[in-house]
Amino acid sequence: MAWLTWRQHRPQLLATAGLLLLLAVAAVVTELPIRAAYHRHALSSCLPPATRSGCELIVGHFRSEYAARVGMTRYLAVLPALAGLFIGAPLLAREFESGTFRLAWTQSLSRRRWVLSRTLLLALATVVAAALVSALTMWWRRPFDDVGGRIGPHAFDVEGLVVPAYAFFAFAVGVLAGMLLRRTIPAMSLAVGIFVAVRVGVETLLRPHYLAPLHRTADSVAQSARGRDWILENRLVDSVGRQIPTAREDLAIVHAQRARVDPQDYLLSLGWRRAIVFQPNDRFWTFQAIETGVFVLLGALAVMATVALVRRTSA
Amino acid sequence: MSALLDTSALGKRYRRTWALRDCTLTIPEPSIVGIAGPNGAGKSTLLGLAVGLLEPTEGAVTVCGRDPRRDPAALADIGYVAQGAPLYRGFTVGEMLDFARISNPRWDQPLATELLARSSSATQVSALSPGERAHLALALALGKRPALLLLDEPFARLDPLASRELLRLLMEGAAEIGSAVVVATRVLTDIERVCERVVLLGHGHVGLDGTVEELLASHRLLTGARRPLGRIRGVEEIVRERSSGRQLTLLVRTNGPVADPTWSVEQIGLEELLLAYMAPEELPSPQPPEPSRLRWHG
Repeated sequence: MAWLTWRQHRPQLLATAGLLLLLAVAAVVTELPIRAAYHRHALSSCLPPATRSGCELIVGHFRSEYAARVGMTRYLAVLPALAGLFIGAPLLAREFESGTFRLAWTQSLSRRRWVLSRTLLLALATVVAAALVSALTMWWRRPFDDVGGRIGPHAFDVEGLVVPAYAFFAFAVGVLAGMLLRRTIPAMSLAVGIFVAVRVGVETLLRPHYLAPLHRTADSVAQSARGRDWILENRLVDSVGRQIPTAREDLAIVHAQRARVDPQDYLLSLGWRRAIVFQPNDRFWTFQAIETGVFVLLGALAVMATVALVRRTSA
Repeated sequence: MSALLDTSALGKRYRRTWALRDCTLTIPEPSIVGIAGPNGAGKSTLLGLAVGLLEPTEGAVTVCGRDPRRDPAALADIGYVAQGAPLYRGFTVGEMLDFARISNPRWDQPLATELLARSSSATQVSALSPGERAHLALALALGKRPALLLLDEPFARLDPLASRELLRLLMEGAAEIGSAVVVATRVLTDIERVCERVVLLGHGHVGLDGTVEELLASHRLLTGARRPLGRIRGVEEIVRERSSGRQLTLLVRTNGPVADPTWSVEQIGLEELLLAYMAPEELPSPQPPEPSRLRWHG
């Protein structure tokens, strides 16, 4: 079965390998100057808990210098969806479109074995490819994650265990969509739709609550408090913790400016503080494990549904 | 030993229409059976049910005593070539054989390669002619050494030469492995050429079932002057009635010799016979009950 699966999906598998190679080359080429700068500025000595004078400036400079490049890694989040589009959706849809399911299902193998072995082998290939992408991304982002953390979605979505889990889920949903719709293009659309909906839904509705978020009150009132944590809420509150409406904040700043006082000092003198709700960076692997579990479970359900449908289909 | 193919009151409904209904058939031993019928008569449905692709709505089907849907082991005994002979277009002929070898534990590679002796194994499936494709699909089915071989419209879209060639391969292969063959086809000449038994399907029902000799022996063409039709001795049923000018031609099913000198009696060919059942151009006129006073026997 391994030979057959390879033979039937040779173009997709070769394209995947090519894409991996391309990503690896691009990663190495773009990463080398970043690593050089990281060492030149001795950024490792600025990582918590160690602090040295001027660190804020150095870190800020490093981050802004490569901000555009780092931003690019966000696009890697679309890669798992491709597994659903180009490997998952055609797996069964193409057999239906060309009528070859009538050939495949009338050999001596049971349908269950036929669909399960192909699905699992391709799932394995997908997961391995996604794991490689994830490892590569983690290596590439390492300097930025050190200074900026990786629990935030910008890094969390493209690193660690969740990447293979997303890819597995996208693939499994693609296969199921192909079984349900029996045509490749509609199956691709459905698979992407479901994947994006679930992925965004989990990220915005579930992920912030995997563990109870922490609260802290910042000593400053400046909004751009940069840290390594995932900031869920950042509100200006008064001394008893009530949120201050924006209009009132604006009014206070205008007051301070008229009186030629530093607005920050003025706001602090009113007893106002920033209340921050956040997930700390050190929960990265816990959150990765939980989210991986969610997507592996959903993907497994899709595979089971597909197997049941293939066995029961009367066509 | 259980029958190679056995269906009892088999029926399949798609939404509201019955594709096949009340189909009871038995193929007890290796023979060549033709399933004839127009489009939509239920031929493909019958084969699809027999190979387990379709779930029966009612009734049951077994192959060698096993239910092809419940018992995957039954699949090893069935060779099936679907309509249009679906194959993996990106594969070469050799890779198609590899596919079949992997998918069938009882695969007979020497037989399959012998049957395909004339085509190169490096040829791409998409580059094959319709005849070669049909040939390959048949070799893949025969290589399983099935007890029952089901072919769905194998001759459609083939030119007469390719069709004859395929038929030769089929006869050779089926004889070699001693399997029963069921051929569903609209092309009646094929049936006439090879089949020992014919099952005619129409609107999902079995219209006619018998060996070729039985069918030919029990049907006659009667030609005579046009007249109101009464009962003719030896005639069981008028299948088709056709008139031209003052002449009347009847296709009848007989239950004895037709000994009426006003009719000239002729044999009928199988093709014409099947056509008459498939597409009766004129319905037989209803026969009025005969007055009892004229009855002197029965």
